[in-house]
Amino acid sequence: MLARRVVLQKCLALGSIVVASHFSADSMLFAFQEGEKQHPKPTPPNPLGPFYKRLAPVNNILRAPGDPGLPLTLSGQVFDTRGDVVPRATIEIWQTNHHGLYDVDGYRYRGKQTVDTTGAYSFESVIPGHYPDKSRVCQHVHYVVVAAEHKPLVTQLYFATDPAFEGDPQKNYSRDPLLQTPELIRPVVLTGEPSELHAKVRFELYLERL
Amino acid sequence: MNMKVAALMLVCGLPVVASAQSGRQVNTINLPAGVTVQYGTMSRAGTMVATIDGDNVVRVWSTGSGELLQRLADGGHPPSDVAFSPDGRYLAIVYQLVPNEKGVLRIFEVDSWKVKHEFVVPDVFALALSPDNRHLALSGMVTQTWDVENSRLLADVSPPFGGSTSLSFSGDGNWLATADGDGHVRVFDAATGKPRSSGTEFALEPLAVAFSKDNKAIIAGGVDKTVSVIDPETGKVLRTLSKQPGLILSLDVSADKKQVAVIYGSADSFGKVDHLILWDLDTEAVLADFRKPGITILGGAFVGDHYLFAATSDTQLGVWSLR
Repeated sequence: MLARRVVLQKCLALGSIVVASHFSADSMLFAFQEGEKQHPKPTPPNPLGPFYKRLAPVNNILRAPGDPGLPLTLSGQVFDTRGDVVPRATIEIWQTNHHGLYDVDGYRYRGKQTVDTTGAYSFESVIPGHYPDKSRVCQHVHYVVVAAEHKPLVTQLYFATDPAFEGDPQKNYSRDPLLQTPELIRPVVLTGEPSELHAKVRFELYLERL
Repeated sequence: MNMKVAALMLVCGLPVVASAQSGRQVNTINLPAGVTVQYGTMSRAGTMVATIDGDNVVRVWSTGSGELLQRLADGGHPPSDVAFSPDGRYLAIVYQLVPNEKGVLRIFEVDSWKVKHEFVVPDVFALALSPDNRHLALSGMVTQTWDVENSRLLADVSPPFGGSTSLSFSGDGNWLATADGDGHVRVFDAATGKPRSSGTEFALEPLAVAFSKDNKAIIAGGVDKTVSVIDPETGKVLRTLSKQPGLILSLDVSADKKQVAVIYGSADSFGKVDHLILWDLDTEAVLADFRKPGITILGGAFVGDHYLFAATSDTQLGVWSLR
């Protein structure tokens, strides 16, 4: 496959892109590529359920002291597809516990928060477990993001460290039948001493304007 | 059972364990070598089962003879959902063209298997035709109603987020009930999309909804393990059958509104769909309790005085009768 820059250069050579006289070809390419960076794609959707529970508490500390599992900090920012921060978006997340089970009776590992003026959010949790029934569903965290004048986003975050991906999520993402793109699989950064490891994952969210 | 739930079921391994069972197996269909059933639906008369199979083919089977009646494929495009019209004259199939974006809907005449209508629709995981075949409802990224004859979009009835999991038309085809991911059951005018009430709230996601034939009740259930009888006019819950043994994945109500058949899943083992109970809706008594580990129950229909349903194992499609 041709790189985008090569395609653009070919188009310029063939005259299918017309450059105004005061731009050089290189400056046109630079402007195009910079412009593209400023128009990120919306975060791909992923199924909602079926374990969504209404009326989750406003709470970003989902991990209780002594909970089993690798502690996890989930953070990121909410943008629109022009790259502008979306302030006051509400993010609701839910996930299984370390053993792969959802709390359907209460609200453990369920919470929501409204992002600040920089669009930033953060949740403290644990890496979710795999479903206990030999499921092929990979470890994941559910997200619903709602903001005024934007299309609601329902998606899921997956972990690049999931053994199902065998270290190559780009190649093996479809081992989870609900994953149609590797874009939802995020790298996991481990910090701390070996006896007190802590996982950090960033997940930026891009909403479409209505 | 809807395709969204089936897609999640698909990813789970099913333990094969022999056990006691109630119900009577009335037919066994051996699947073609290498073919597995991912999803299936039975016609309301109980005469046909349509299955979406792992080779991206929709197969239609006679429940009486076990004969393969038709094989419907669209190149490599995977079927997203399949539904019979309530009168059994038509079979609607959506083939996925672009994931999460669009599909093509074909409505086949069952007598000739000729395509009666074809139009491009959003990507779909639930589909329903009205009893009079005037309207079609679909849900995926959006929930919509369509005028079938003119292949025309009538209304967008999407919930705020999460999509609709299950769709059911009223007996007269004028109203559409939706079980929505945001925790509501809603009722709309099928032609205009105007809400009939403000909706019924559930704590957890409702997964199944069925209008009674007389238009006077909606039966709904889902992850909160209750079966609710809802007044379609007000959205008020009239009655609740609370002692449900699992997640409610699918339900059917008998024409006389006296019985409801409920297919269950498990919160701990979502792929296990091997349990079906026939309830007396008036007395809340269990009329029949069927469980057979190792099979996946696909769906069924009230036929005469019994409930006929289809189930699959790795190599077979079975037709069972329960009363």
